Amino acid sequence: MIQKECVAMILAGGQGSRLCPLTEETAKPAVGFGGKYLIIDFTLSNCVNSGIDTVGVLTQYRHFSLHEHLGDGRPWGLDKQRGGLRILPPYQKNGESCWYKGTANAIYQNKHFIDRYAPRYVLILSGDHIYRMDYSKMLSAHKKNNAVCTVATIMVPLSEAGRFGICNTREDGSIYEFEEKPKVPKNNQASMGIYIFNIDTLYRYLDIDEADPHSANDFGRNVIPNLLYCGERLYAYPFLGYWKDVGTIQSLWEANMELLQKVPGMNLWDSHSPIGSRGRVCPPQWIGNRAKIENSLVSEGCVVNGEVIGSVLSRGVTVEEGATVSCSVLLEGVHVGRGAAVYDAIVDCDTKVPEFTQVGRPQAGKENLTVMDGAEAHGSERLVVI
Amino acid sequence: MNAAGIILSNLNDCTLSRLTEQRTVAAIPFACRYRLVDFVLSGMVNAGLQNISIVANYNYRSLAEHIGCGKDWDLARPWGGIRFLSPYQTSGSGDTPLHAHRMETLKSIAAYLREYKEEFVVLSDCTDICSIRLADVIRAHRNKDADLTLLTTPCPPSFTAKFPVLMMRADSDGKVLDMVKSTGYHPEYPQRFLSLFVFRTRYLNRVLDQALAYNHRSLTDDVLMKQTGEKKYYAYCHEGYAAFLSGFLDYYHHSIELTRNEAARQSLLFNRENPVYTSLQHTPPALYKEGAEVYDSLIADDCIIEGKVENSILFPGVRITRHATVRNSVLFAGTYVGQGSTLNCVVSDEEVVVSDHSQLSGSKHLPYYISRGCNV
Repeated sequence: MIQKECVAMILAGGQGSRLCPLTEETAKPAVGFGGKYLIIDFTLSNCVNSGIDTVGVLTQYRHFSLHEHLGDGRPWGLDKQRGGLRILPPYQKNGESCWYKGTANAIYQNKHFIDRYAPRYVLILSGDHIYRMDYSKMLSAHKKNNAVCTVATIMVPLSEAGRFGICNTREDGSIYEFEEKPKVPKNNQASMGIYIFNIDTLYRYLDIDEADPHSANDFGRNVIPNLLYCGERLYAYPFLGYWKDVGTIQSLWEANMELLQKVPGMNLWDSHSPIGSRGRVCPPQWIGNRAKIENSLVSEGCVVNGEVIGSVLSRGVTVEEGATVSCSVLLEGVHVGRGAAVYDAIVDCDTKVPEFTQVGRPQAGKENLTVMDGAEAHGSERLVVI
Repeated sequence: MNAAGIILSNLNDCTLSRLTEQRTVAAIPFACRYRLVDFVLSGMVNAGLQNISIVANYNYRSLAEHIGCGKDWDLARPWGGIRFLSPYQTSGSGDTPLHAHRMETLKSIAAYLREYKEEFVVLSDCTDICSIRLADVIRAHRNKDADLTLLTTPCPPSFTAKFPVLMMRADSDGKVLDMVKSTGYHPEYPQRFLSLFVFRTRYLNRVLDQALAYNHRSLTDDVLMKQTGEKKYYAYCHEGYAAFLSGFLDYYHHSIELTRNEAARQSLLFNRENPVYTSLQHTPPALYKEGAEVYDSLIADDCIIEGKVENSILFPGVRITRHATVRNSVLFAGTYVGQGSTLNCVVSDEEVVVSDHSQLSGSKHLPYYISRGCNV
C-alpha cells in the first residue's frame, strides 16, 4: 500500500442553480473563468502546488464536461500510478442507487477510496472557488494546534456575513461556535468550506451523521456543529489572500472583472504556483485592422475586428467589424456579429449574437447583468436579465 | 493509413544559420505559437499516420522538449507513436559522423527502415510549409501504383532559393518525365518539389541497399535523377499556399506575409480541415492593457501589451510596455520591449530584452536580428 499523509477530496457535485442558465448543461466547477480556465482548475492547482498529489473529485450533477476536462489529470501532473486524480461519481450498490445526499454523505460513500492511501489527514475542498492557497501551511497549523479539525476562514463584509457559515473563535483561534448562515452574525469570520480532519475523527463523525435520519448530511450544517457540540478541538485557519465564491452570476462576473484591475484579484501570472488547465489546440489570436482592444483578456483562437473594452474573451471568440463588447465575459466560441453590442453581460458558450443587435445595457452594473444563453443547438436564443 | 512517417529535422540548417544556432530547423518557431515541425507532423497525424520517426542529428534539445512524449499530437501510443532517431555509437564503430544529407541520414537508419511493416513511407523535411491533405497524396500514390510520389507546387517565375532545389515536369497524368536542380525558375520544369516524398517501402529499401553497395551520397543526384525514366515517379501538385524557407530572409517574409495575406493565414493556421497541433502550454490569455493598440497582428497567449503593435507576430510571453511601438516584426517567446522603444523590421530570438527608449530598425530586405537572450 502507498501511504499518503494527506488526501484531498474536492466536492464538485453541486447543481449550481444560482449560476443558471450557465449550469443548465454543465456542472458549476466546469463553468469557464478567466478566458482559459474552468472554475475547478484553481482548487486542483492549489492541491498540486501544495504538494498534495492524491485527489478525489466527487461529481454528481451534469458531469460530462467536467469529467472530460479532468480526464486522467495530466494537465495538473496528476496522472500518477501512486496517487493522482480519481473521479468519484455515485454508483449503484446492491440494486439501490446511492446518490450523494449531501457533502458529508459524499465523503462517507467514498471511504474506500481514502482508505487505499491510509492518510492521517483528509482535506475537504469545494470545486467552485477562485483563490490561491497553500494548503500545506494550513496543515502545519492544524498539526501545531493539535486540532482534530481545522476550518479555513476569511473575513467577509459584515453585511454579507449572513450568507456564510460564521466561526466564532477564542483568542487562540479555537472555535467555540459555528453558525451556518446566521440571521444576526456575531462576526465576519466566514468558513471557506475548506476543512482538514484527522481521519479517525472524520470517520467517527461521518458514522454518527450517517446514523442520524434527520441529518442533511452536510458538513457546515451537521458535522461541524456536531463536533463542537461534543467538545472536539476545532481551530480556525484565517486566510488572507484573494478568495471569491463564484456561486452566483454577479460574483462570477465580478471575479472576471477583477482579473482586469491594475492589481488583479486572482493573479494568473504567478509562475511560482501556476494554474493548470486542460489545453486545446487553437490557432493564435488574430487582431484585425479595425480592432480596438483595451484592458481585456483575450485567448487563443479569437478573431477580433471590433471593439473590446474591459472584457474577458475565452477561446475561439469572434468579434466582427463594428461590434462592441464592453465589461462582458464571453465564454468559448461566442460569435458577435457585425455592428452588434454586448454590455455588462455573460454570454454562454457557442452563442451567436446576431448582427446589429444589442445585449445588455451600458453601465448596467453588477446588479443588472444580462446572461445570454443560446447555443445554436437549442434553436432559440434566450435572454435572462438578472 | 498504411504508411509510416519520417521527418528529417536537420536538413538545410546551414542556410537558416542564425535561427539554427541553438536549435534544429524543425524547432524554428513560426507563426506565433508553432515550430516548423508542427506543420508536417500535423499533416501526418491528420492523415492517420501512427508510426512517425523524427531523425535528429544534433542541436535537438529544444525539438525534443517540444515533442515530449508526443501526447499533444496524440502520438504517445503503446505501439508505434512517435520516436526520435539520433546517431549513437555502437561498439567498435568509432566516431559516428553527423549527417547533413538526406541519403547519408537514410543510410544511417537503413536497418531500422527494413523493419517497417507499413506499405508506404512518407519522408519529409521541414522547410516547406503548407497545408496539404496527405491522405489524398497517399491515396493517389496507391492508385497509380507508383514507386515514388513527389509533392510539388507550380513554381512562380519570381522564385529563387538559397540552394538548388528539384524542379520537374510531368505529363498530364502526373508521371514525372524529367527533373533538374535549380536555384531559380526554370520554364521547362514548371513544378517545384516541396520536399515531401511518398515511397513504396519496398522501393525505398532497394534504393538504400543500392546506396550502401555503391556508396551513393545523394538521393536526388545518384538515384532520383537517374531513375526517373525507368521507375514510376509521380508528381502530386499542390495548388494552394506554400511557403519555402530557404534562408533567413524567406523566413522573415513568410512570417510577415501571414499578417498581410488573408489566404495564407486561412490556409495555414485557421484551416479547420487540417488543423495544426503543437505542444500545449499552461499560459494565461493575452492581456491588453490601457494604451494597447494592436492592428493586423497574430498574438499568442501570455503576452502583455501596453503599447502599439502593427503587422507583427508575437510569440507567448512577449511584453510590450507603455509607449513602445512594434511594426513588421517577429518577436519570439519571452521578448521584452522596454518603454518608449520603437522596433521596425526586427526578428528577436527568445528571451531578448530591448531596453527603454531604444530605436531598432531593419529593412524589409535586411531585417534586424537579435540573438537569443541578448540585451540591447
